[in-house]
Amino acid sequence: MGKGGGAVATKKTFAEKMKSREAQQFFVIVTFLFAPLLLLIVFTYLPFMRMVQFSFYNMKYIGPKKFVGLANYIDVFHRTEIFRALLVSVYYMGGAVVQLALALFFATLMVFKVKGESVFKAALFFPYLICGIAVGFIFKFFYARGFVFDSLLQIFGMKLEDIPYWLQDQRINNVALAATSVWRYTGQNMIMFLGAMMSVDTDLYEAAALDGANNWHRFRYIILPSIKSIIVLNLILSISGSLSAFEPPYVITNGTMGTGTYFVIMNRLAHENQKVGLACAMAIVLLAIIILCTVAQKLFFAYVFDNGTDDESKAAVRKRKKAEQKKRAQKGAAV
Amino acid sequence: MKAKEMVALGTALAMTFSLAACGGSDDSGGVVAANLPGIDMIELGTDYQDITASIKILTNRTDIVDTVYKGYAEQFMQLYPNITVEYEAVTDYEESLNLRLPTGDWGDICYIPTSVAKSEMSEYFSPLGDYGSLNEIYNFLSDKNYGGIQYGIPNGGTAGGVIYNKRIWKEAGITELPATPDEFLDCLQKIRDNTDAIPLYTNFAAGWPMGAWDQYIGVTATGDPDFMLNNLAHTKDPFAKRDDMSGPYAVYYVLYEAVSRKLVEDDPASSDWEASKGMINKGEIATMVLGSWAVEQCRESGATPEDVGYMPFPITVDGKRYASGDGNYSYAINNKATEDNQIAAMVYLKWLLEESTIFEDEGTIPALKSEPLPDSLSEFDGVEIISNNPAIEGEETLFDDVNNESEVGINNNDYPDCEILECALYGTKDLDTLMGEWNAKWSAAQESLGVDILKY
Amino acid sequence: MRKKKGLSLVFEILKYISLVFAALCALIPVCVCILTAFKTNEEYAATSVLDLPQSFLNFDNFVTAFQKANMLRGFLNTGLVLVVVLTASIFMGSMLAYVLNRFKFPGRGLIQNLFMFAALLPGIAMQVTIYQIMYSLGLVNHLYGYMIVLMGTDIISIYIFLQFFENLPVSLDESAIMDGCTYFGVFFKILFPLLKPAIMTSLLLKGVSVYNEYYASNLYLQAPKLKTISTALYTFTGPYGNQYNYICAGVLITIAPILILFLVFQKRVYGGMAAGAVKG
Repeated sequence: MGKGGGAVATKKTFAEKMKSREAQQFFVIVTFLFAPLLLLIVFTYLPFMRMVQFSFYNMKYIGPKKFVGLANYIDVFHRTEIFRALLVSVYYMGGAVVQLALALFFATLMVFKVKGESVFKAALFFPYLICGIAVGFIFKFFYARGFVFDSLLQIFGMKLEDIPYWLQDQRINNVALAATSVWRYTGQNMIMFLGAMMSVDTDLYEAAALDGANNWHRFRYIILPSIKSIIVLNLILSISGSLSAFEPPYVITNGTMGTGTYFVIMNRLAHENQKVGLACAMAIVLLAIIILCTVAQKLFFAYVFDNGTDDESKAAVRKRKKAEQKKRAQKGAAV
Repeated sequence: MKAKEMVALGTALAMTFSLAACGGSDDSGGVVAANLPGIDMIELGTDYQDITASIKILTNRTDIVDTVYKGYAEQFMQLYPNITVEYEAVTDYEESLNLRLPTGDWGDICYIPTSVAKSEMSEYFSPLGDYGSLNEIYNFLSDKNYGGIQYGIPNGGTAGGVIYNKRIWKEAGITELPATPDEFLDCLQKIRDNTDAIPLYTNFAAGWPMGAWDQYIGVTATGDPDFMLNNLAHTKDPFAKRDDMSGPYAVYYVLYEAVSRKLVEDDPASSDWEASKGMINKGEIATMVLGSWAVEQCRESGATPEDVGYMPFPITVDGKRYASGDGNYSYAINNKATEDNQIAAMVYLKWLLEESTIFEDEGTIPALKSEPLPDSLSEFDGVEIISNNPAIEGEETLFDDVNNESEVGINNNDYPDCEILECALYGTKDLDTLMGEWNAKWSAAQESLGVDILKY
Repeated sequence: MRKKKGLSLVFEILKYISLVFAALCALIPVCVCILTAFKTNEEYAATSVLDLPQSFLNFDNFVTAFQKANMLRGFLNTGLVLVVVLTASIFMGSMLAYVLNRFKFPGRGLIQNLFMFAALLPGIAMQVTIYQIMYSLGLVNHLYGYMIVLMGTDIISIYIFLQFFENLPVSLDESAIMDGCTYFGVFFKILFPLLKPAIMTSLLLKGVSVYNEYYASNLYLQAPKLKTISTALYTFTGPYGNQYNYICAGVLITIAPILILFLVFQKRVYGGMAAGAVKG
């Protein structure tokens, strides 16, 4: 990115200046847009288009491919295991809600004076820094029968025979996996909430204290409104994040014992059964579901919050949308 | 104002790249039409001493690539100082190779991934000689040849049997090794009743030990060398129960019943392969169903190697016992490498198969027919070790096709085998139902591929 | 009044109990790893996972893991990737955001939507096709190819910068232009220095994700000398895998550098995270 525009700025009449500014503007737009746009097209949209193309073919990684029209899509809707996998996502949605609630709770505690605040913050935030593969190892070790978690519970007086099999028991194994995700991201969410809460003017707290407001009132009338949009945004994101959950089952159970999420099953079809076309069709179906859910939720929340509350104005809605885009990008990278 | 032009530029770029991408994936690089000798023609130590080349070998053995394998390469380089041999270990071997092979630029020798169909071998690999003459010399060649030409030679072979701890089996009061699935299950029950050992350890969590059960459904369960690669694809309902308790059903029956009678580890989901080798050595585990390649590893993992024994899989067909002798992964040479590299690769391959200590070190059946069986197979007296016959001409890919299309995933997908264990564990489906589903999928695949159903 | 004081005391106690409990939950899974990493093979087999190792000076497992997985190489490669990718992301993200935020031109909405929609696309599912493109461009098995892939998927920083520009008054640009500054000058001299908080946020988020990235690294960097630190851990998986005491040591080695950086820059990290949130 050179600084080629520097040559243009010499003394000129107003009209000339405008004109050259227009040229300059064009030049800036083109140079600044070129690299990001090129990368976006080559590494995102081009592969995406080819994925769409592949979804109409019966093909393996290697070897010839055959055009089959919509057969792959029809196949997707005939498979019961795929819809079972979508049900597994419900656990991850539950996990996302718990995660938000915990993050909110701890962020609220931290807003008030806490001794050793930085230690607690660091401890809670720390899991966010760990690589996915390492998380997989850590939790295989943690949940293995008679290992870490079981030993801990035994210390607290539980008998081994009363402890469920964390990865085997189908009543609990998806909860156990979703919990790893809560473990990993609660601290990060907490710091974000804390940031939003801290942005509230401290005068407000003082004024409230003078008015005799107690902690609950402070939370209800000052803190909560300041972070409402970010909470709503996170709820919206939790749906698409849950539907595309991949990492916990992939690194811990490999999707066995009923823990296979949609992406895990898709990955298996693509790599082990070599049904690349079908896997691409699955990806596109999921994309459609995610888009539908996101739109529906947005409409829902827009409806709920445009009625009767005055702190979610049109401007706030716009602001929220902006944040949404950003968060979605973060989530996309995290999943 | 100028945005339209930019969009146009973007589209043009996109199209250029998509064209390039098509070109790259479909036919990458040319096959180097090398003037190659047959591998049987090479005189080791004398021929090709003048060739200077640097070759790279891909392997899945991440554990010993820098020790044992590097040692082989060094020995070889003393014999051929002009040839440099380098190993590269690949994690997620199958998955990576699927992507790397089509590029042509991956190295010189690799194991042929299971996803490469026989008809496609000539696109990636150099001919090593003709099947007829090589088959006189090497074991297990039937799989990797096409049109009479051999493209891959297995890295030795594995007999299908069961690893057990002799001391524990004795302590449980078992005097005679079982010959049928029900006898085997009775033995496991005795172990459960009379000892503290885990009767059968599934190694479920690792995934691949579950897929390993598929290796017993061919020769071991039927005694028929044509069953796997020829008959199975043409058989209607191959997974149905047979009255004499042979065939694939009998194999999966052992697994299903062992799990549902609680004769396996307490929590398969947290089983630990690395630890299991030491546990069977010590006698904490009584039995594991794995190929003979694992025997050596189990013996090395503890203080009592003499306790680790290997017995035939408990199925009897018409009064006779069989064991499959299957080739391991096959070595093949990159046909897009330079001629010198291809020849150097062939020389190294020949040395590795014929003169290195690789088969003794790994306790596998050697590649050369003239070499004796490993001592782990000493208890296979009276058991006939047979390898599968290759598919007949014109149907080389048929088994793969039906297998992939049906998603039963024999020998290439661990998940269906995992499902057997899950069904037994949770009691969600009985074995007959599950095998019925496999049969239905198999039939659907046969139908969609237009395969004739034959009676054998 | 007295009653109220008692109540708030209870509240205080509960507050600390819950905080301590949460901190323990966050740390225990990793702490157990520390215990295991210091145990010898025999010790590991003989003791419970919660037992302390005989000595915290037994670094053998760390040495073995470090050498076996060639972690030095991994750290060097990851370091290089981090420097290049983060620099490029920050410049590309901020320049793109500048153009999208400050200029009105046809296609602007389209471009913005293209970036937004890209965040929704399923990355894992597209690996097959991305690999083919990478290959045909000759980018596989080169560190720079991997860097380009990581830059290409960078949508996070773009959003952070976009929303930050929203809050930088346009009058800044205008007065600079009146003073004869070019647009390039406006960006590099006036606006870029003001972006510091956004740069911090984007460095943090992108940095953590690049450091921990393993899927693409495993796919595109095949030669042993190109392995990054996250994939070094793969050395310990598979049928020929290894024991938990080595694995734990390996895990700790990979966590250590990022943990140290985090502890040193703790305040700024929180600031960065918060800045990302507040402007939302």
